[in-house]
Amino acid sequence: MSYRLPLAGVRILDLTMAWAGPYATRLLADMGAEAIKIEAADNWDLARSLHFLGHETERWYNKSAFFNHLNRNKLACALDLSQARGRELFLGLVEKSDVLIENLRPGALEGLGLTYETMCAARPDIILVSMPGHGKGGPESDYITCGTHVEQLSGLTSLTGYAGGEPRKSGISYGDPVAGIAAAGAVAAALLYRRRTGRGQHVEVAQRETMTNLIGEFVVGYSMNGRQPPRLGNRHRSMAPHGAYPCAGEDRWVALAVGSDDEFAGLCRAIGWPDLASDPRFADVVSRYRHQDEIDAIISEWSRNRTPEEAGQALQQEGVAASPVLSIPQLMDDPHLRARDFFESVSHAEAGVWDMDGVAWRCSGTPAHVRLPAPCFAEHNRYVFGELLGLSTAEIESLEEDGVIGSAPLLTLHD
Amino acid sequence: MSEGALEGVTVLELSEGVSGPFCGKLLAAYGAEVIKVEPPGGDPARRHGPFPDDIPHSERSALFLYLNTGKLGVTLDIGKATGARLLERLVLQADVLVENLPAGRLESLGLGYRELAAMNSRLLMTSVSPFGRRGPYADRRSTNLTSFAAGGQMYLTGDPGREPLQNGGYQADYQAGLNAFSATVTGLIGVAASDAGQHIDVSAMECQAAILEAFLPDYAYRRSEALTKRRGNFSSAVIGLYPCEDGYLGIHAMPRQFAALARTMGLEWMLEDERFRYNRSRLRHDDELAAHFYAWCAGQRREEAYARAGELRAPLAYVHTLADLTTSPQLQARDYFQRIDYPEARAAGKSASAGGRLTYPGPLFRLSEAPARAGRAPLLGEHNEEIFGGRLDLGRGDLVRLRANGVI
Repeated sequence: MSYRLPLAGVRILDLTMAWAGPYATRLLADMGAEAIKIEAADNWDLARSLHFLGHETERWYNKSAFFNHLNRNKLACALDLSQARGRELFLGLVEKSDVLIENLRPGALEGLGLTYETMCAARPDIILVSMPGHGKGGPESDYITCGTHVEQLSGLTSLTGYAGGEPRKSGISYGDPVAGIAAAGAVAAALLYRRRTGRGQHVEVAQRETMTNLIGEFVVGYSMNGRQPPRLGNRHRSMAPHGAYPCAGEDRWVALAVGSDDEFAGLCRAIGWPDLASDPRFADVVSRYRHQDEIDAIISEWSRNRTPEEAGQALQQEGVAASPVLSIPQLMDDPHLRARDFFESVSHAEAGVWDMDGVAWRCSGTPAHVRLPAPCFAEHNRYVFGELLGLSTAEIESLEEDGVIGSAPLLTLHD
Repeated sequence: MSEGALEGVTVLELSEGVSGPFCGKLLAAYGAEVIKVEPPGGDPARRHGPFPDDIPHSERSALFLYLNTGKLGVTLDIGKATGARLLERLVLQADVLVENLPAGRLESLGLGYRELAAMNSRLLMTSVSPFGRRGPYADRRSTNLTSFAAGGQMYLTGDPGREPLQNGGYQADYQAGLNAFSATVTGLIGVAASDAGQHIDVSAMECQAAILEAFLPDYAYRRSEALTKRRGNFSSAVIGLYPCEDGYLGIHAMPRQFAALARTMGLEWMLEDERFRYNRSRLRHDDELAAHFYAWCAGQRREEAYARAGELRAPLAYVHTLADLTTSPQLQARDYFQRIDYPEARAAGKSASAGGRLTYPGPLFRLSEAPARAGRAPLLGEHNEEIFGGRLDLGRGDLVRLRANGVI
């Protein structure tokens, strides 16, 4: 590699677990930061347990695909912060780092005596990033938030659902990666600030607050009109037709969206019924909106006999926004993603070889890749405690014996 | 006022709709000077509601007002040679260009990355688009819905046996814009370190495909389709949305949190029962577990259940409506919402007459040393004189000529 990645030379201590925090540090590690994950024998990343392999699998905690996708390009060590000696070593690492990022429950770090001030004493310009669900302070700050709670608290879930039906959750725990992407941006912003002023700071990413940023127009709209908009299914407030239509095959669909008269004429040509564009029921935006049940039935009749790819292509050729609703196997085989080399083959010492989604921020001058597979539990203890902190092998071994440095995870932790 | 994190960074935003403008809005919030370049007819987002009293008005669109806070606004027809020349002059003074125009549009005007980088080698250009700027789908037409379909999230959302479902608002576009923001700020560190700009290509499809929870990783690794189907409101009994007396309760419990959940619901006996004691045994009795949760939730009022769960540290929340958000004691205690004065909203009649101020979500994240800024969105062409006159040294007569020729 003849270029420097944007975050080369930045060291991040990563106390985060599960998804939101690790996604933030994955993005930063992809961009060249050295991210060191700190786990402990009795406090290791939950994502290691979500492996779907059966507990008979040997060393399953190193083979979780979820964990291994989220933690590529990172290093890992194991250190017990509940012991004084562990905290001492930890502060030694803080001294040698630019960023510390954590998503422990509020007050947990402080409870160990690891306040922002303590960290500043070790490293005056440290950037501390906290990712609580509710933020510090306020009556709910100690409430547990987990996965799908963030989108429920943000307002998004109340807006999602089939027309006339109950709210629906997203297919993923959407608040997690959203907070992670935001936190990565926050780290970068704080690094730029430090570069200019020499000062570190404490960054707070309150996950529910972050997520509400992605439905801002509804918040502003509510302050205009005081109304909760109805759930629309796949429909749109002004475009019609707008939805997902059944195609040939099991659970296969094509999504399309039509706004203008020209686009509707294109749709009519694509379905082989050009005259439909001048049918008085559908001839203008307002009529189409009023008669969208009828249009939907006509489109479904057409799409049912075609694959989503055929339908999508026919519509695109006539200038209509359309796409197959891609399932995961289809995404992984998708010719466009493959042509862009989105998936990268990864080789992991214990988990083997497979294709992983690559780096979504495509930088022309400093293209980034999966450089390292995700770390096995405590894989980089020697580097972290030996090279960075200067401990001898004998000292590391003795700390392992005392349980300050961890070497194997407590298997029953997440049962 | 304290200095913003992105103080001194000048951004040109050549974007419409949601994705690029969201990126620009965030850059502005953290201290960059963002100049939004709109076509003389305005960003199409201005035509989308909600509007006060449902009366369309290009200066009163909630979508536009929200997505363009804190920016300066100029109009410019870059399709005209004169407009393209003026844009080039703005690029010379800019650190960042954020664009989400239709594929090929900038290249066809001689304003592609290559040409712009030749003029300003430190330029960081961020393109945010449905499919990315290269590859077989780069020229495809797409809206938020079709982008959401292409990214894999739609297939996973909604009920088994029904059509896949989009989620509320413009989530494919927002995700792309959020990624573009974080990628741009990261890219600026690279520019500072190397003195060289570059082109960042952000594809909504890839941004989504990267965050398919454990579902894509598991398929990628095991090639099993076990986790590739949508499952409505219930991934399992412990990850689900349950109706309650006055709304919906969300349960999302990791194995270690089950005991607190059982205590909250008065189901402590489960902790001693072989069927429910361990995660693996619970999974075998999932329907039974769900039935108990249903029954308990049905008799609960949302705020009381939430408060009780909070006290007992159980993983339960309720679905907040927009009204719940604006009255949330937590968000109020955190002083989350921003009230932004807006001259056009003040004129907009009764429902927005509370001093002409509207309520906006607060910052994406909070920086202790460099708090985010709030400021209203620009009126169409509001800063034409300041930018074209002040920055490009055009005289008043020049601006009149540009206006007469439809350039601004």
